[in-house]
Amino acid sequence: MARILIVEDEKAINDLIKRSLTLVGHECGQVFNGLDAIELISSRPFDLVILDIMLPGASGYEVIREIKDTPVIFLTAKAKLEDRLTGLRIGADDYIVKPFEMLELIERVNAVLRRTKAEPATFEFDDISVDLIGKRVTKAGSEVSLTPKEYELLAALIAHRNVALSREKLIYLVWTYDYDGNDRTVDTHIRRLRQKLGLESRLKTVYKLGYRLEV
Amino acid sequence: MKLWQKNYLLTLALFLVFLYAGVFSLAFFSYRRSMNDAEETAKAEESYIARSFERDLSDMLSYGSGASADMLMRSYVRHYNENGICLAFVSGGEVLASSFEEAPAAYDEGSILRQSIGDERHIVISDPLEDVDCMLVFAKNIEGVYREFKSFALICGAAAVGVSLLLAAVLLPLLKKLTVPLERLEETADRISGGELDVRADESGNDEFASLAKSFNTMVGRVNAHMDELKKEAEVKQRLVDDMAHELRTPITAIRGYAEYLERAAVPEEERLEALSYIVSESDRLKRISEKILDSAFIRENEIKKERVRLDEALREAARPLESKAAEKGVSLELETSPCEVVGDGVLLSMLFTNLIENAVNACGEGGAVTAGCAEGTAFVSDAGRGMTKEQLSHITEPFYRTDKSRSRADGGAGLGLALCQRIAAAHCTRLEYASEPGKGTKVTVDLTALK
Repeated sequence: MARILIVEDEKAINDLIKRSLTLVGHECGQVFNGLDAIELISSRPFDLVILDIMLPGASGYEVIREIKDTPVIFLTAKAKLEDRLTGLRIGADDYIVKPFEMLELIERVNAVLRRTKAEPATFEFDDISVDLIGKRVTKAGSEVSLTPKEYELLAALIAHRNVALSREKLIYLVWTYDYDGNDRTVDTHIRRLRQKLGLESRLKTVYKLGYRLEV
Repeated sequence: MKLWQKNYLLTLALFLVFLYAGVFSLAFFSYRRSMNDAEETAKAEESYIARSFERDLSDMLSYGSGASADMLMRSYVRHYNENGICLAFVSGGEVLASSFEEAPAAYDEGSILRQSIGDERHIVISDPLEDVDCMLVFAKNIEGVYREFKSFALICGAAAVGVSLLLAAVLLPLLKKLTVPLERLEETADRISGGELDVRADESGNDEFASLAKSFNTMVGRVNAHMDELKKEAEVKQRLVDDMAHELRTPITAIRGYAEYLERAAVPEEERLEALSYIVSESDRLKRISEKILDSAFIRENEIKKERVRLDEALREAARPLESKAAEKGVSLELETSPCEVVGDGVLLSMLFTNLIENAVNACGEGGAVTAGCAEGTAFVSDAGRGMTKEQLSHITEPFYRTDKSRSRADGGAGLGLALCQRIAAAHCTRLEYASEPGKGTKVTVDLTALK
């Protein structure tokens, strides 16, 4: 969906970010030092830069100065409040502290992209097409009627596709905080989605964890 | 109460006490003396009168003139009354002749008394006469002498009061001025405690206040220097903690991230193995960091052993575990040892050489060469690797510092090795000497002859 540049000198972490973001459909470029980052950003457009601060060559602060229009998320071990404030003040769109959770990373990346980038209007897989603006779903050309919650559950699964989400997480994403229902509600909605859209092979139950939409 | 006020009141009080005591005793003695003088004069006069009366009476009796003793008495009384002296002749309680307008309150045979007669002070002398059964009562007015003394006392008192007032007025500003330096010092101290740490007291002059100001300034200087030291120390510690947090966060992020990735994503076997190998290698890194931190703590908290150590053997022992790593990297590792012995902790020295040799191997690319050796208590490790700039050299013993972040992490360094080496050297009362040139290599030398 979006082209994201990852600037992080630790190969293990750079790879990890790339894998996590690729899962949910982003296209990732990787650089391992500040100078390469500056060079690459000036030559190719990116939708988002994920930037470490302590980098060889040029620090994250120096890199962000060279970036004009691309949104930036700082991803760093500098956890102190003053570092976060500095990061946000010099123009970062968000600030993630290591160690981070995979879901947190994905959600923050998506949040920044929602603010800065026009999202694609539809998401398609197999014979299913989801109109993300009109909130309508068609299967093999004919519209499938979904309840609002069923649609929101599908949208959350699409946003986190290929990532297993726990029932608690789904409740949080779809029903928000004030919902006092239980895991059974999620199971019921998932079952209906599977039935209505024929997703038995795509919408997997992950043992002991939750559900994953594999596309 | 302030010091100058205390001083002022005390000085004034003491001065007044002595002044008034002096004036009073002066007046007292002069009064006694004038009274005695007056008394002596009166006695002499009385004696003269009595003797001349006795002579006149005996003359009169022997010549047998018709005049009576009464007449003689009356003429004496009259005569001396004109000269301001009252006389009376008394016989057995009967007054024979008298010029007293008012009888004296008391008189007795042979007595000398001072008393008031009609509001004025007199000396009254009673003297029994010879040859006649009669007593002469003599009274002399001494009011004049008394008045004289009174005016003298008045002048003295007035002078004393005047002097006191003058002193009170002059002493006040003088004493106040004396403690001005003290007030200034207080003001300075207040400003310093208010945060103006650069303010210093005025040291001019050579009295006690000046030396106090000097001591004060020295103290403030010392305290400031100590504070700066503590601040620096705290900064170093804070940086160490920050660095350590950063160093620990990176592997933890990777381990946690890959574990979560494996948990949530359906990944092909190949990727799964790759993620697992990241988890293993990052766990190893955590382990290495924690070991180095423990080593540092160990050196900091324990006294080192002092034993005879064969330096060449320690070097060989230290190099052994690194041979395979050097071979893997294509780096040649050579030892140039000659047998020598030093005093120190064998385990720590091995740790020192292992760290130095490992750093040297890491600094080399393929085809590089590392040489370690010892002779006469001095050991060295040199490499023909990247070398370091002066700027880099000044940082290398800081914990977690790396000359080249990404590369030395790839080599598995925790960034703690040289900080550890420095501690070990310090524990052996020596230090590591670095000679390095970018692109040419580094040589570390350590002289271990300090401990005996």
